[in-house]
Amino acid sequence: MMSSYLPGHSPLHRLPAGAKLLALAGLSLLLLPADSALLLAGALLAVLLAYAALGRRALARLALLRPLGPVLLLMVLLQAWAGDWSRAAVGAGFAVALRILLMVLLADLVTLSTPMQDMMDALERVLRPFERFGVAPRKLALAVALVVRFVPVLLSAWRAREEAWRARSTRRPALALVPGFLAQTLRLADHVADALDARGFGRPADRPSPSDKRTMP
Amino acid sequence: MAGGARAQRESGEAGGIALRDVWLDRGDAPLFRGLDLTLGERRIGLVGANGSGKSSLLRLINGLIVPARGEITVAGLDARAHRRDLPGRVGFVFQNVDHQILFPTVREEVAFGLAEQGLPRAEARAGAERLLAAHGCAGWGERAVEELSEGQKQLVCILAAIAPGPPILAMDEPLASLDLATRLSLLARLRALPQQILMASHDLDLLADFDRIVWLEAGAVAGDGPPREVLPRYRAHEMARAATAAGVLP
Repeated sequence: MMSSYLPGHSPLHRLPAGAKLLALAGLSLLLLPADSALLLAGALLAVLLAYAALGRRALARLALLRPLGPVLLLMVLLQAWAGDWSRAAVGAGFAVALRILLMVLLADLVTLSTPMQDMMDALERVLRPFERFGVAPRKLALAVALVVRFVPVLLSAWRAREEAWRARSTRRPALALVPGFLAQTLRLADHVADALDARGFGRPADRPSPSDKRTMP
Repeated sequence: MAGGARAQRESGEAGGIALRDVWLDRGDAPLFRGLDLTLGERRIGLVGANGSGKSSLLRLINGLIVPARGEITVAGLDARAHRRDLPGRVGFVFQNVDHQILFPTVREEVAFGLAEQGLPRAEARAGAERLLAAHGCAGWGERAVEELSEGQKQLVCILAAIAPGPPILAMDEPLASLDLATRLSLLARLRALPQQILMASHDLDLLADFDRIVWLEAGAVAGDGPPREVLPRYRAHEMARAATAAGVLP
């Protein structure tokens, strides 16, 4: 949803990626038990101030949160309904929604202020001890970078499909768009695998590549 | 230009591409049946209908696919035995930028090939910055690729491909989705590169001043020579094909 890096030189940008990821993990853990709506609202205000300090382009990203709105509202309603619409239940519902909103915003603060390469380096360091269990830190780190890179690409592919629908129909875009989109996504994955292979990433010297299945005699 | 020195050195010591009796299947049908080609010219254009084998030829040269039979030598290396080394010798540029840009920012994209060659991260980044600056893109490093124009994205793809200093650049319709002005300006940049260029294109005007044109037809060479000889024949052949299709797409 919100996943791109915003170039800049703010104090947040200058912090090492590892420190930011640790702080994000720590803050998220601290937020979990917090259930005072007032405290959470205060934290939200602080996070919003951090966005404001980063400038207009950071603030503009908040508009991308809109799709999250109905989901959060549903959570509030569900919590309140489960508690027979008592004051406490409504308060608890707001606390849950605020907590999720805060976590999303905090995570976005890290992505918008950290170049992907730094994030990959930090992740690689964290994963290195697991190498002996067959985990390939470099591949996992690359996978994370690819997710960040291709979220906007897939979003625009989905929007293009919606537009193509709207150009020929007055009804709302339906589930019928999904299979085609999935097929397109799989094709894209094939192309990206080729591009990685063309640049020599993890190319084996003796094993045929996946694309060879087309070419074997 | 960073990478250029190495490219010249390598193309000097063992440049060129040679295919000997190459057989390749595509799906269940044979495509190349004993293809022989020696490609030594600086700039070579590949023309041919969709499915004629242009992309497969480019892929064989980068080692993306290996032939069922036959020998391919690329910049002095046997393509089968040195498959792992080919990406360092043959930069590859695809048509669709969204299929090949792998990283969110320009610097990461350009530095990736350098890091893959074993350069330490800091040096790979510095190398990327030098290459960007040498091509008039100083200050692009921090930019998000999503913010670039289509032409700028394709330029980043080209720079990412030449960053490791390959002596050869294989390009699969790299300019097809760009407007005319952007095509011409990227073509002028390509002309200035030291790399041997092998470019598949449906835009015949772009290939008019290349050194050689290879025309593929169903996996075989149908024409081979300077553009002024091959391109008019190819154009006439395609016009005839369109005419005989009589309302049905060829």
